[in-house]
Amino acid sequence: MTATTLVDVQQLEKNFPLSGGGNYLALKGIDLEIRRGEFISLIGHSGCGKSTLLNMIAGLDLPTGGTVLVDGETVKRPGPDKMVVFQNYSLLPWLTVEQNIALAIDEVFPGLASDERNTLIQEHIVMVGLGHAAHKLPHELSGGMRQRVAIARALAIKPKLLLLDEPFGALDALSRGNLQEKLMQICNEHQLTAVMVTHDVDEAVLLSDRIICLTNGPGSRIGNILEVDIPRPRQRMTVVHHPSYYSLRSEIIYFLNRQKRVKQWQAKPHKVLAAHGLEKVNLDLGFIPLTACAPLAIAEAKGFFAKHGLDGVQLVRETSWRGVTDGFVDQTLDAALMPSGMPTWMAAGGHGGDPLPIVTALTISRNGNEVTLAKRLSDAGVHSVEDYRNWLQSHNREPHTLGIVHPASMHNLLLRYWLAASGIDPDKDVHLQALPPAQMLADLKDGSIDGFCCGEPWNLRASRDRHGVPIAGDLEIWNGHPGKVLGVREDWALAYPNTHIALTKALLEACQFCSDPNNWPEMADLLSDRRYLGIKPDLIHFSTGSKVAEGSHGPTTSSEQGEPHHLFFGAGVNRPSRSEHLWILTQLARWAEIPFPRNYVEILERICNVSVYSTAARELGFEDVTYQRSAIELFDGHPFDGNDPIGYLNSVSVHRDFSVAEIPLGVPRPLAG
Amino acid sequence: MATTPNSSSTLSLWWKRNRQSILPPLLGTLGFLLFWQLSSSLGLTKLTGPLSLWTDERTRELLLYPFYDRGGLDKGLFHHSMSSLGRVAIGYTLAAIVGIGVGIAVGLNKSLDRAFDPLFQFLRMVAPLAWVPIALVLFQRNQPAAIFVIFITSIWPILINTAEGVRQIPQDYRNVALVLQMSSGRFFSKVLIPSALPYIFTGLRISIGLAWLAIIAAEIVMPGTPGIGFFIWDANQNGYVSEIVLGVIWIGAIGLILDRFMAWLQKRISPGQ
Repeated sequence: MTATTLVDVQQLEKNFPLSGGGNYLALKGIDLEIRRGEFISLIGHSGCGKSTLLNMIAGLDLPTGGTVLVDGETVKRPGPDKMVVFQNYSLLPWLTVEQNIALAIDEVFPGLASDERNTLIQEHIVMVGLGHAAHKLPHELSGGMRQRVAIARALAIKPKLLLLDEPFGALDALSRGNLQEKLMQICNEHQLTAVMVTHDVDEAVLLSDRIICLTNGPGSRIGNILEVDIPRPRQRMTVVHHPSYYSLRSEIIYFLNRQKRVKQWQAKPHKVLAAHGLEKVNLDLGFIPLTACAPLAIAEAKGFFAKHGLDGVQLVRETSWRGVTDGFVDQTLDAALMPSGMPTWMAAGGHGGDPLPIVTALTISRNGNEVTLAKRLSDAGVHSVEDYRNWLQSHNREPHTLGIVHPASMHNLLLRYWLAASGIDPDKDVHLQALPPAQMLADLKDGSIDGFCCGEPWNLRASRDRHGVPIAGDLEIWNGHPGKVLGVREDWALAYPNTHIALTKALLEACQFCSDPNNWPEMADLLSDRRYLGIKPDLIHFSTGSKVAEGSHGPTTSSEQGEPHHLFFGAGVNRPSRSEHLWILTQLARWAEIPFPRNYVEILERICNVSVYSTAARELGFEDVTYQRSAIELFDGHPFDGNDPIGYLNSVSVHRDFSVAEIPLGVPRPLAG
Repeated sequence: MATTPNSSSTLSLWWKRNRQSILPPLLGTLGFLLFWQLSSSLGLTKLTGPLSLWTDERTRELLLYPFYDRGGLDKGLFHHSMSSLGRVAIGYTLAAIVGIGVGIAVGLNKSLDRAFDPLFQFLRMVAPLAWVPIALVLFQRNQPAAIFVIFITSIWPILINTAEGVRQIPQDYRNVALVLQMSSGRFFSKVLIPSALPYIFTGLRISIGLAWLAIIAAEIVMPGTPGIGFFIWDANQNGYVSEIVLGVIWIGAIGLILDRFMAWLQKRISPGQ
């Protein structure tokens, strides 16, 4: 605990005895430090224990385990130094506005001279803008005005800590907005430390320095802590234009939806169904809507799953890669389509939890990504990466943000590589922000990002809508780079080896189907369905413009090289490659997403399951696709030596201070049960 | 000249606004009196009609001269009422003090509540008249016995409502007191009493009616002392039916005034709730 810490919550636990006997574990293992002057929001679904946590900080409720320290002292009882603003205002209805505030002041500062006391009261009534209503009774005031009185009363006694329990929950939108601004202004002026319980996502983002997301009960814990990096003073109307706003907002909404999904998932029975000599045939297969998910959709539509005995495959559409990561962590997903960097990233603990080895036995797609810059940059004469570098130098006072989809995706790694090789530091000269693809289009349109690197169909949509112009395709950066892979947990793969092979076979066969240009119109029609992408088929392309023109679909408007180019099948396309995953590991370490693993040989050994792929390919009779790929070579020609990754890391011109560490993976063991 | 049409128009405006609340009760009462008078004149009932209050010489005298005092028990109705009201005032005040005090204790303390609630619920069912012999045995003298009957009849609504009022203090107010670290004395005067006040007043208002109701029962046991209860008892003994009717109407009117007075007091003391 440092001097700047005001509140220190340590291993807090709360058990409520139930009337019918037994206990309800509301909160468990809550650790939280709140700095002086910080504004914290607690958010979560109803019943997650956020109000309980607030009450325990206030001392209105005592924990059954752990402690709350305020200013280094254990909280044992409530007190005016931890003033609470209640949701239903809690004004005494027989006292006027002035008397309500006076009551609190008289209690807390009993020795105050009467003129000092009156000044204090008047000052706080004026602070919340209620000078005209000082002599009114609460029932003569609107809800918003009552809550202002409650806030004035709380502030008048100069608390160390202000605790707000859904303070604006019962107000109409207009008074809520006004009061939020007022509270923000007061907190800024008086450097208040505050903790607020809310269920309003926008309110949390607007007011907070940090947002604490609580998971569902029973046994709620802190699921996520978000730092809000929007500078103060903030204005309700302008924060929405800050590039972080929507990503924070979508992060919270994602979290809340995730909690809901977990709850629904837990409500259903989950039995492992074995059949046809396979250990498990009912699989939940995660994906996110992208053109590259075509093999999954095809395997389902064309019956490839069933053909290989998997007759209970369910495709689960996630809205972001985060959903896939979390689905693996809490085991609500059996397998998923994922960015090729995700297996190594999760094995090295890049997702923030314990290292979780993810096995990949199949590369599903290659290529298909592109860098798009905003139309306004191309209008200003930016047509190449050199132009962009010069433009950044001449506009170095403005923030420059580029969107990426996920830190472990090839978009991030390729964009960084491309920028760094062209003399632009991807962390210092620009800011890379993980955004949901749909958000990138909106941000590109309103000018809060310069551009993005993303998979299809988003680049095509940006250029069709004339908000963005493609500047570099992945064909120019690294032609044939791995795009999406099939991933499963290592313990899952060990528990269900035959299912793993069957799944690989089904998807490999689907990949073969997807690589035939004659099938592309059919695939575009299938993917345009709401279950997958839900967009018009003419926005879904699989190859360059000239080849699409051979098919029945669409005349193309953008340039030839700007068209996507997906490889689903062919010599060396699908076999998982250790040297590629090593390249990814070095790049993730280069940008300090993860430490470089000293035991990288062990990690690659466990992550790339070539034997499952070989078995699958052999049983399908695809002997010709088992060849390994040639050496890795990117556009700048910088050699990658797989035998000396640390030497390579030191040789690249731009890199962060990477560290080398042993990643403890534990002994591989199959899933229990 | 200018004010006349103006004032007449304000009068007609007032009438328009209040017609709905004046006409129906007036018509209802007049209709009832007419029915009563008719059924009495037609011999449907032995009870004398309302007009007899005026036609009967004894009652007319009582109506015209409420303040006369010929010594002894031969007094006007005003003096009888004052004696009764005095007795009610003592019994009722005692009931209010004890009722509010015990009510608060019971409302604050759950085990006290559990211990005594059945007893209270049982005792409040006992009719005022049934208390009379017990009161006489208890006190041996008339005056304290009468006051006891009033007391024991009127205490229950005060006690039960006060306890409920204390129990119903919203958790929010308690939390405010907790967070401000109020002393128990300050909590009592600043939060508990003001918050429970509407309940206490409801109890007081019900009780004033009951205390007044108990007056007949109380004064039956006290022959030889002036009081409206005794007045009716005496008229009954002598068979003056008109006097009984007059006494009953008198009691009703005073009860109504007492109730209205309490309502007015409640509005004055606890506004905004």
